Amino acid sequence: MNATAASILRFLARPVVSQLAFVILAMLLWEVAARHSTDELFTSPPSAVFAAAGDLFDDKGVMRAVVTTLWELGLSFLLAVVFGLAVGVGVGASGMTYRSLYPIILLAYAIPQITILPLFVLYFGPGPASKVAFGFSHGIFPIIVNVVAGLRTVPTGLLRSAYSMGATKQQVFRRITFPHLVPSFFTGMRLGMTATLLGVLLSELYVSSGGIGYYTELYTESFEPHNLFALTGMLALMAVFLNEVVRRAEIRHSRWR
Amino acid sequence: MNQTTTSRLIQAGFVAAVLLTWVLVTSTGLINPIFLPNPVDVMEELGQMIADGSLWADLTITLFELVLAYTAAVVSGTLIGFAVSTTRWSTRVFEPLFAAFFAIPIIVFYPLTVLYFGLGPESKIVHGGMFGFFPIALNTITGFATVDRRLLLLAASMGASPKQRFVRILFPAALPIMITGYRMGFILTFLSIIGSESIASLAGLGHRIVWYAEALETPKMFAYIVIVVLLATLLNTIVAALELRRRGA
Amino acid sequence: MAADSDSRPVTIRVEAVEHTFGGDDPAHHVRALDRISLEVFHGEMLCLIGPSGCGKSTLLNVIGGMFTPSSGRALIDGEPITRPMPAKIAYMFQESTLLPWATVLENIMVGLEFQGVAKPEREPRARVALATVNLQDFAAHFPDQLSGGMKQRVSLARALSLGTEILLMDEPFASLDEQTRMVFGEDLSQMLATTRKTIVFVTHSLAEAVFLADRVAVFTARPGSIKEIMTIDEPHPRGPDFMTTDRFARLRNSLYAQLRDEIRKAMREQQVPSTID
Ligand SMILES: Nc1ncnc2c1ncn2[C@@H]1O[C@H](COP(=O)(O)OP(=O)(O)OP(=O)(O)O)[C@@H](O)[C@H]1O
Ligand SMILES: [Mg+2]
Repeated sequence: MNATAASILRFLARPVVSQLAFVILAMLLWEVAARHSTDELFTSPPSAVFAAAGDLFDDKGVMRAVVTTLWELGLSFLLAVVFGLAVGVGVGASGMTYRSLYPIILLAYAIPQITILPLFVLYFGPGPASKVAFGFSHGIFPIIVNVVAGLRTVPTGLLRSAYSMGATKQQVFRRITFPHLVPSFFTGMRLGMTATLLGVLLSELYVSSGGIGYYTELYTESFEPHNLFALTGMLALMAVFLNEVVRRAEIRHSRWR
Repeated sequence: MNQTTTSRLIQAGFVAAVLLTWVLVTSTGLINPIFLPNPVDVMEELGQMIADGSLWADLTITLFELVLAYTAAVVSGTLIGFAVSTTRWSTRVFEPLFAAFFAIPIIVFYPLTVLYFGLGPESKIVHGGMFGFFPIALNTITGFATVDRRLLLLAASMGASPKQRFVRILFPAALPIMITGYRMGFILTFLSIIGSESIASLAGLGHRIVWYAEALETPKMFAYIVIVVLLATLLNTIVAALELRRRGA
Repeated sequence: MAADSDSRPVTIRVEAVEHTFGGDDPAHHVRALDRISLEVFHGEMLCLIGPSGCGKSTLLNVIGGMFTPSSGRALIDGEPITRPMPAKIAYMFQESTLLPWATVLENIMVGLEFQGVAKPEREPRARVALATVNLQDFAAHFPDQLSGGMKQRVSLARALSLGTEILLMDEPFASLDEQTRMVFGEDLSQMLATTRKTIVFVTHSLAEAVFLADRVAVFTARPGSIKEIMTIDEPHPRGPDFMTTDRFARLRNSLYAQLRDEIRKAMREQQVPSTID
């Protein structure tokens, strides 16, 4: 009997179990509080949010908006990766390009991009183009910075030893610079994904003709907290999922680090 | 000519080229001034805003939101982070939860914040505080959880009391990592306040940028952008200087 | 003895090599080598010993063709060295230069690939080299999974696998424990007796220098120049018996006497960091 109790406790103490238990407990408390309270802060019990989420899945307009956001994300991330890698390799290629161009990149990175969000809408219109552009402008910098770091931090000892064994420039790139760059590149992609998500969602929330920003505004103005919670939850889960995908990829490709 | 001079020249040339292009395309009418205003106009607007005092109301609101939000983030992030770090179990349970949350662009929660706290400063303070909380809490946890165990053994071997252990070993060892968190938290709080002001608000610098953008008064809009960039640079410099001072001490 | 030396063919010749580090800014100049002239005979083991920072690694780099010295030159078989010569020289660097993302076996194979060895030959040769340092069971391990000494043995295997006539070794056994070091020393001495490789070997260990070297070059404090060349007249292979002889102790002591002043000089200089910042 005692042994069973002990093993149950041990099971509960496992981090994953505790995390789940903690989340479930928080939801239960929230549910109970919402049902027993007339305070409007608590009027969205999880049960109502889940029900609303079901309705949202059936709502064609909402689903189209979510899909639009997803492909805006995908496209801006893809562009950020391609151009981030190209620029990063260009800047990190030699000591000269690094010293001359990298400070310029950092200067551009330091500008709070949120301030120029209205310009993106002015130039690219309120549709998906401005979201892709704004997401891209967020995602590209962490990728450039990490690619440059990956290229500039190859230990000189490895390079010298390769040349001492007769390596050609191409061999040095294939066997040393490139493998050394890979983990930094994936780190850049992870941070770039977080930044792209931020950029796309920011511009969606700022102005949106039929994207999710349109619906968040609709639900806020018509005071529909259940729907707003459900939509927010979906977006958050989407963000967690995408981050997890790139994080896994990063771990897989940086085992040696 | 040595390498440093060459790269400095390239950089100066780049900045000069950007500015020159900006002046040229705007004064020759190559680009519609609604899309890109003439820098001279922007400067005039800037002077005007400062002279007639119209800048101060929004600046004060933004700074007020920033101070409250950041204070809330520092206090809650440090206390909760430290509490979590005290046992291995709570670290392993809560650190991944916080990290998962930190990976979500917190901006998605902003509409909910507006729903409950309205369009005024309250929603910005709550939102900014939330953004700043995670890096501070996470770095506090990391700082305390990764203190070199050999140092703790050493302290124990020399008979350190729990208080000495904290004051002499744990805290100084965790501080550099915590300071990084405070700095990240500060930047995120600032940006999220400008961002939330841009998305839905009644006042503040971010609000004003968007306001003039929608009125197509781009010179005024750019003047406010310049203010925010300058403010960001100034605040960052101050924070970096404080960080250096703490590190040096 | 001098007559004996002269009769052997010279493999490496260093002619008045001088080197100053420091690029654009004269305030950061560091004079590392001061007109060094030196010969290394075919099949000889030459040890370089001297205070830390006196320029031993710098000289090895010049011989390895890693950079051109400020003045003077180094020659191999009468041919000036201007770039790495992987067909003739294998270089074991002071710091670990194993690729952290490659396994032990891959690390050795990459060296052979760099040297231009045909693909099918690489793996068998790498395995043979691994066996010579008794690490065949660790072929699939990554460098991080090995101890410091094992890593050094992999580096040695990689250098040996290249099959060059000349080996440049920069403190190869510095991170090994004393016993393993002695065993390695014996193996190296055995190798010298059988294969007649030409080796330049940097060490900080007096005993290692006396045990291994045919000649020991003693460096002065920086800027490094050669203070004295000591001959150790004892045929390879040398065994543990050699170490217990009176002659060994005498040689070791006279080497120490040569070095002691230079080390004090180097220490005094390091208290006044005139050249750094
Ligand atoms: N790339 C470099 N740039 C500037 N100075 C250098 C460089 N490499 C070496 N030096 C300087 O040249 C001097 C000689 O260095 P070297 O590495 O040859 O010494 P060493 O005799 O091998 O020392 P140790 O026994 O500690 O390995 C040192 O004072 C060092 O500071
Ligand atoms: Mg050295």
